[in-house]
Amino acid sequence: MVVPEHRVSRLSAFGIAALGAALIVIPFLSSTTGLRQTSQIIVSVLAVLGVNIATGYGGMISLGHGVFVGVGAFATGYYVSDLSLPWLVAIVLGAATAGVFGALAGLPALRIRGIHLALVTLGLAIVFRPLSKRFPSITGGVSGRSIEARFDAPGWWPGDSRMASSVYRYLFCVLIVLLALWATWNVVNSRFGRSMRALRDNPTAAAVYGVDLISARVTTFALSAALAGLCGALQVVLVPFVSQDKFPAQESLIIYASAVVGGLGTIWGSVLGVLARTVVGKLGEVAAEFDGLGPVGEFFSLLDDSAFVFGFGLILLTFLFPRGLAGIRRRGGITQ
Amino acid sequence: MNWNFDVLPDFIFNGLSLGAIYGTVALALVLIFKATTLINFATGELAMLGAFLVYVLHMEQGIWLWLSMLLAMLLSAGLGVLIERSLTRPFDPEDHLPVVLITLGLFLIINAVAGDIWNYQVRILSNPFGKFPDWVPSVGGDRFVEVLGSRLKYQSIGIWVTLALALFILGLILNKTKAGLAFRAVSSNVESARLVGVHTGRTLGFGWAIASAFGTLGAVLVAPQLGGVNPNMMATILIYALAGAALGGLDSLGGAVLGGILVGLIQAVLVTWGGVVVFGQLYMSILQLAAAFLIILIVLLFRPAGLFGTRRVERV
Repeated sequence: MVVPEHRVSRLSAFGIAALGAALIVIPFLSSTTGLRQTSQIIVSVLAVLGVNIATGYGGMISLGHGVFVGVGAFATGYYVSDLSLPWLVAIVLGAATAGVFGALAGLPALRIRGIHLALVTLGLAIVFRPLSKRFPSITGGVSGRSIEARFDAPGWWPGDSRMASSVYRYLFCVLIVLLALWATWNVVNSRFGRSMRALRDNPTAAAVYGVDLISARVTTFALSAALAGLCGALQVVLVPFVSQDKFPAQESLIIYASAVVGGLGTIWGSVLGVLARTVVGKLGEVAAEFDGLGPVGEFFSLLDDSAFVFGFGLILLTFLFPRGLAGIRRRGGITQ
Repeated sequence: MNWNFDVLPDFIFNGLSLGAIYGTVALALVLIFKATTLINFATGELAMLGAFLVYVLHMEQGIWLWLSMLLAMLLSAGLGVLIERSLTRPFDPEDHLPVVLITLGLFLIINAVAGDIWNYQVRILSNPFGKFPDWVPSVGGDRFVEVLGSRLKYQSIGIWVTLALALFILGLILNKTKAGLAFRAVSSNVESARLVGVHTGRTLGFGWAIASAFGTLGAVLVAPQLGGVNPNMMATILIYALAGAALGGLDSLGGAVLGGILVGLIQAVLVTWGGVVVFGQLYMSILQLAAAFLIILIVLLFRPAGLFGTRRVERV
């Protein structure tokens, strides 16, 4: 299980270089809509990273991280429009609010483990949507609400066209996500990160060695929820509209599944998981174009539905690479 | 505060019939958990698919409702066997994560397929207990009888009788057949069962089959209460069933049924009737959902085995 983390393999280096190049080239090639969609995909890495911290490093299954994305989005919208806070403050506070909710939601994880925790967090995911409809002043109730404030480029930014603003938002999101990845990397390789992993692998031994179980577990969950909340906050930056119907239970499941597909317990796994989700979704969209093939065409038209494709891919990947995409190079299939 | 005791029996009847349905779905969860210590997160979606099978067979093909239900239960059972054989058996039963992912994947797939075929509008499905059949002597109305000054719906009576019958049959299968014996052996100890020659894979498939059939039964019974069938119909029902299963004990079949009924009663009496008493109006869904979530949380925090959770199989 222990893999030397300090050496970056040639494949990883190539992958990082390719990703970096893509991040630079994308703004030159896409429309404002395309750029916004790309930004949304990049931002969703944060939620997956959050699950990865709780489940991959902390050993606590969370099927409910869509809830914290939602809390982050609603809270940021509230701070920036109702309290008229500056965007940066609102984003930080939004993530922090999700972190506080996460700490509360993490309390059961002190006693409940494994599949039972999965059950509790799934319950949270299902309850969240109807619950948020009950607070229309913050969430906009059933139909959602528009946030009047816009995250626009400041005066020194060259150009003031819509495209220039989109590029600004895009770069802002990329910067935040990179910062979050870097910070997470440091956290999981710090003393705290080691105690987190010790708790995952053997709680009793960890406690014997002086790890404070309660504070470590609650902090882990809060941290992971804050990352998901940051994802929600950046969603509001990109699209100033919040609505409960963006956060069905399926969304939480897909976030969890992305983390597992990418590979739990590795930072790059979160990026890979989101990439896989996007690529598979796009392939599905392309395949859905093949109409008029009778029953086969019917099947292809299903591929337009990202939930279907992702569910399908999830099962396939579980068979092929039970350790996630990041684990392909480490070990083989399910037979061993 | 206005103690509306005269409407209380209404709420109790309603709670008991909803609870019976939750118990049925909880039973589907527990049948699989008991044998594999896995929660099948696709239980609700499989049940929804079963309800749609009834919709196709009865509403579209015009087959007699009860025959459609029986056929749908058999087809669901077959699907359960197929899923167990092809998707879960290849994995190590001790390693939960892959199978959890498989059931989550199934959840997404079944929901999306149903949405693609039948879209997300609610479709009416005939109520098996809409009106009293003609041979029943009239006592009050053709949809209810008067009990304690309240209306006891034919639907409630029908649900109770159906559930009792289904439980009786399940009891017979588990206690009087060889497959049932094998199932009990596997759920008590997989390794020992294997040593004495029980084909564990086939037995788990048998468990999946009964569980899927029960899920379908629950979904068909709950459909009239939701106004019909739609691909998202089971999301909230699943929460109540999970609450029932957790309350009764995730490995107790009898506990699942009792737990489901208790959740229905808590929902109807404490939350809905209590809401009427305290606030003077109905605060339906959200308080009920929150209550179900709290039940799951509190039970798992303070009594993870639930009320009746034991390692033994109980007679149901």
